[in-house]
Amino acid sequence: MLNSVIFNGVTFIYLGAFVFYLVNMVTAREFWGRLASFTALFGLLAHTTSLIIRWVESYNLGIGHIPLSNLYESLVFFAWAIMLLYLIVEWRTKSKVLGAFVVPFGFLLMAYASLSPDNNIQPLIPALQSNWLTSHVITCFMGYAAFTISCALSLMYLLKGSKRGNSSETFLRFIPALDILDELNYQMVVFGFVFLTLGIITGAVWAQYAWGSYWSWDPKETWSLVTWFIYAVILHTRFIRGWRGERIAIMVIIGFVSVLFTYWGVNYLPGLHSYQ
Amino acid sequence: MKLMVFLLIAIIILSILGTLIPQGEGARAFAAHLAPGLAFLFHKLQLFDIYHSLLFVILMILLSLNLIVCSWSRFPTSWRLFRRAFSSLPDRPSSPHKVFVSQGRLEEESLRLENLLRKRYRKVRREDKEGVSYLYGRKGFFSYFGMYIVHLSVLIIIGGAVIGNLFGFGAYMEIPDGGFSDTVRLEGRDDFKKLDFTVRCDRFSLELYDNGAPKSYRSDLTFLIGNQVAYKGPLLVNHPIKFEGIRFYQASYGTITGSKAIITVRKNDQEVYELYTTAGTDFKLPGEEVTGKILRIEENLMGLGPSVKIAIHSAEGDLQFWVFQYIERIIEKNPSLFENVPLLNPGLFKPYLFSLDGFESKYYTGLQVKHDPGVSTVAVGSFLLVFGFMVVFFSSSRQIWINLETEGKWTRISIGGKDNKNPVGLQRDLSYFMRKITEEQE
Ligand code: HEM
Repeated sequence: MLNSVIFNGVTFIYLGAFVFYLVNMVTAREFWGRLASFTALFGLLAHTTSLIIRWVESYNLGIGHIPLSNLYESLVFFAWAIMLLYLIVEWRTKSKVLGAFVVPFGFLLMAYASLSPDNNIQPLIPALQSNWLTSHVITCFMGYAAFTISCALSLMYLLKGSKRGNSSETFLRFIPALDILDELNYQMVVFGFVFLTLGIITGAVWAQYAWGSYWSWDPKETWSLVTWFIYAVILHTRFIRGWRGERIAIMVIIGFVSVLFTYWGVNYLPGLHSYQ
Repeated sequence: MKLMVFLLIAIIILSILGTLIPQGEGARAFAAHLAPGLAFLFHKLQLFDIYHSLLFVILMILLSLNLIVCSWSRFPTSWRLFRRAFSSLPDRPSSPHKVFVSQGRLEEESLRLENLLRKRYRKVRREDKEGVSYLYGRKGFFSYFGMYIVHLSVLIIIGGAVIGNLFGFGAYMEIPDGGFSDTVRLEGRDDFKKLDFTVRCDRFSLELYDNGAPKSYRSDLTFLIGNQVAYKGPLLVNHPIKFEGIRFYQASYGTITGSKAIITVRKNDQEVYELYTTAGTDFKLPGEEVTGKILRIEENLMGLGPSVKIAIHSAEGDLQFWVFQYIERIIEKNPSLFENVPLLNPGLFKPYLFSLDGFESKYYTGLQVKHDPGVSTVAVGSFLLVFGFMVVFFSSSRQIWINLETEGKWTRISIGGKDNKNPVGLQRDLSYFMRKITEEQE
């Protein structure tokens, strides 16, 4: 169908954007930076268009629903949220180096989605026929996207921090100063934490309607709580102990592993939520 | 702080264990795979019901206590911060950001700046003492309390969960289509509970998409108190019914075994007989000395669909064979089936041909029944949590001091400020005032 064709194209556009961001980081030429941003923005527009097309196509099939209902659609939406949030951050901070670390996540998700054997639009099973589906999925993925970006920031931090001595010689000098990275990282963690909280709450409301119980310790719920606790610990060590920098970066990466497990790993555990 | 991190990590590890070891309903099947000794150990350690285990409960209690004690001991400090700014004379900026000298007169300048300050700050105080004018503005002091709101809401949510666990129940009930019931099976226990009313399922209906996936399940329910109809309404997935404080959810459905089979008998392509019975019934074919019996009814035999087993007794002897509903489809795949397995030939007793038209399937509806008096508490806690986040993360408390002093013909203006979280925003505000101060001088 048309939408999957465009999504496949978007995958390559993101790959291109990633390459341009890399070249920009190494050469620090403005031209490459502009080209990278332009490519990423173009990819995001095509991505958005395709999401809308898929939505319309589902209505044409007589099973209209927002495209957020199976693994394929969630991968595509995850990538979309990352790219959207990234471009907003780039626009606000005017720094393009981050792109070389974030865009690959968007690209990999899209590539993984396009390998997925089942990209057909499927009708909604009764449990998913709820308005809460939309608010739940959107809030969760905004949170996941913020955590992805903060993971990328942490990687940058560790990379730059480990080469403190001779960083002026390598391309690492184009990475923003450590305290700027740390501050941005904190803001992303806060953003993600708030959205994850909203995601858990909307999910609980929905579960209360669909299954009669706002919380049933199903693996996905449990893992989202685990993730929530990890980021709560990160915020507390920062607030109370004043931890900064490297230790925060490492904890953020641990948090992100938990995010990935919440999103994807739990599919291999039995439960209500798995996207199969 | 150390205790908090330790507790949270312990809860995280337990929770993860709970997702790896099957819990509750699934635990029994899993335990069967374990060595008996190990299964016993797991059981004793409550690893099959981690989220209700003693250890988990203790950790949650400790976390709550830790939260209460910490917040309690810290609160007076925040309160003092909050009060002090109101009760005492606003300080002179200890290290002023900037000092200006203005040609304007003290009274005019201080009035002008006071009005400016009022436009941007909620609380403004002014004091004139010994020839000095003190201006003080502040906003967002509520931000000091965000942390308490968040912590309180976490406690409220935990409290709501406790209420639900102590005073609520979760259960399950099955009602045949057209039948009624007033007892439910309690979750996690082999125990039943009688409701104060009766639930009747007037009709259960199932709708499928073209691809066979379920589209909707619907039970039309009637709630009866005594013999009086108290409520009537449809129950669908995602559309629960609340009755007498108990919520009913469409959870599952199924067919009741012991259904009736509909069988047609043809002789030389002429329909001669129609059967509509359950397993075990005898029948007699018209006009001949032939009797038969329906031996078994299978919903899905060998994965080939519905089937009935029929025994025939006639002068020529006894015969047994299976009659599949979807026999054409089966023959298509195995053209030589009847030669190889005569037992599966519905025309084995010549010249008769039996066909199964289907079962009159009778559904039952499976309802999740839940009484949870803690839900509203949890909901309040959740709202408060989000509100607390707004206060913690998106508000900051900001103070600005402006002092004016006469120095000969001039007026000396010094300005300074403080912000607990957002230095960029403070700088923006300070720049605004400094611009306004200098603007007038030109
Ligand atoms: C996100 C907003 C939150 C903020 C701003 C916040 C802030 C704080 C602060 C400043 C303290 C220090 C108290 C002290 O040391 O005297 C603290 C302690 C604590 N917080 Fe939070 N908190 C937040 C969320 C949470 C959540 C969601 C939990 C529960 C899961 C939690 C659990 C605790 C506990 C148990 C302590 C006690 C730590 C200790 O032993 O000192 N907090 N929090």
